[in-house]
Amino acid sequence: MMSREFGYERPFTLYTPDGRLIQVEYAAEAVRHGSPVVGIRGKDFSLMVTRMKDTDPLINPVEKIHIVDENIGMAGAGYTGDINLLIDEARLEAQRHRVVFEDPIDVRSIVNHITQFMYQFTRYSGVRPLGAALIVVGSDRTGNHLYQIDPMGLMISGKAMAIGMNCENATGMLREEYREDLNMREAIMLAVKALSKADESNAPVEVGIAAESRFIKMNLENALNRAN
Amino acid sequence: MTTVVGVKCVDGVVLASDRRASKGGMIGSKSVRKIYALDDNKAVAIAGQLSDANYLINLVKAEAKLIELRRGFQLTVKEAAKLLSNIMYSGMRSYAPYVTEILVAGIDETGPRLFEADVSGAITDEEFTATGSGSPMAFGLLEGSYRQGIKVSDGASVAARAVRAAMERDPGSGNGIQVLKITKEGMEWMDIGGNGQ
Repeated sequence: MMSREFGYERPFTLYTPDGRLIQVEYAAEAVRHGSPVVGIRGKDFSLMVTRMKDTDPLINPVEKIHIVDENIGMAGAGYTGDINLLIDEARLEAQRHRVVFEDPIDVRSIVNHITQFMYQFTRYSGVRPLGAALIVVGSDRTGNHLYQIDPMGLMISGKAMAIGMNCENATGMLREEYREDLNMREAIMLAVKALSKADESNAPVEVGIAAESRFIKMNLENALNRAN
Repeated sequence: MTTVVGVKCVDGVVLASDRRASKGGMIGSKSVRKIYALDDNKAVAIAGQLSDANYLINLVKAEAKLIELRRGFQLTVKEAAKLLSNIMYSGMRSYAPYVTEILVAGIDETGPRLFEADVSGAITDEEFTATGSGSPMAFGLLEGSYRQGIKVSDGASVAARAVRAAMERDPGSGNGIQVLKITKEGMEWMDIGGNGQ
């Protein structure tokens, strides 16, 4: 079989001879074409920024930050349908937790759930790994959290991170300018600056902020006013 | 056992309940909650099996929140009542009914609303209503005291008096009154009397 030489056109779940899962890597590639999201965790908050999809004056801008529960928000890069599937799964899991425990879910548990959900798509034939990555921002009794979830079902927790198109530019800027003691205003400014390295459009910026077990999303102006 | 009362007013809606939980001939609890908020403008008052009611409330809260997040705006009071009664109806149809009666009260674009859902999943749209073992006594007072066009401030006192009347004569009701007023401004909780009563 000729195609075998190249490693293409094999069932998704099969490894290449050098141990890679090509379809999963393609899914990660789809994410690198998605619109970028930047997340930063400060001392008593964590937040994310993204630009709304705003390409046509006749079309309403599409919101990209999704409220999952009162304390958790998510934004994705990649295929919108895949992102929406993940957001809905997260909302369901948050409400399942409430039905059982009568309390909001913690960030770690919901991230873990989504991670396992995505991972299953890398294990079975006949399914396509999801072409989506997520930035998760949330606040619970264990503190404020910033996570990233990628198509292979990998969970990354951290202080500052970016996903989507040209995210390495944003990450570079974050690496240079991130400080532990950023206040909320400084963090928003840095996040927007980093985002602009990856996304040079001037579409409206959306901000999602998690603090004191609450998550809220707003436009940039309101976010800066709130941070003062 | 229990007495819960709902009164629809021009500017809002009121729920009131007693605080007694019965365990056979014993008073199981003297400080039980029978009124629960579903969100910031809807609440329910329950009578009957507490566990069934709590489970239903959790389920409806979760489903309502999911719908709100998915479509971007809240359920109307009628939608919440239908959501609840559909679950109760399917319980009845599968020979495992939820043994509870629930008043659903709230305020939305259509104004103040009050519904009653029973074990069979039937819902009725009410001006005022009562349920539980004390409801005959409560209805007596409500039929005499309820007036169309009543304000929430008066509605709250009518509802509380109806529960009080039931507590006087129904051994299944007692131990204080809880009142919830729902208006455009939000929710206001009030406790009358205490545990020992």
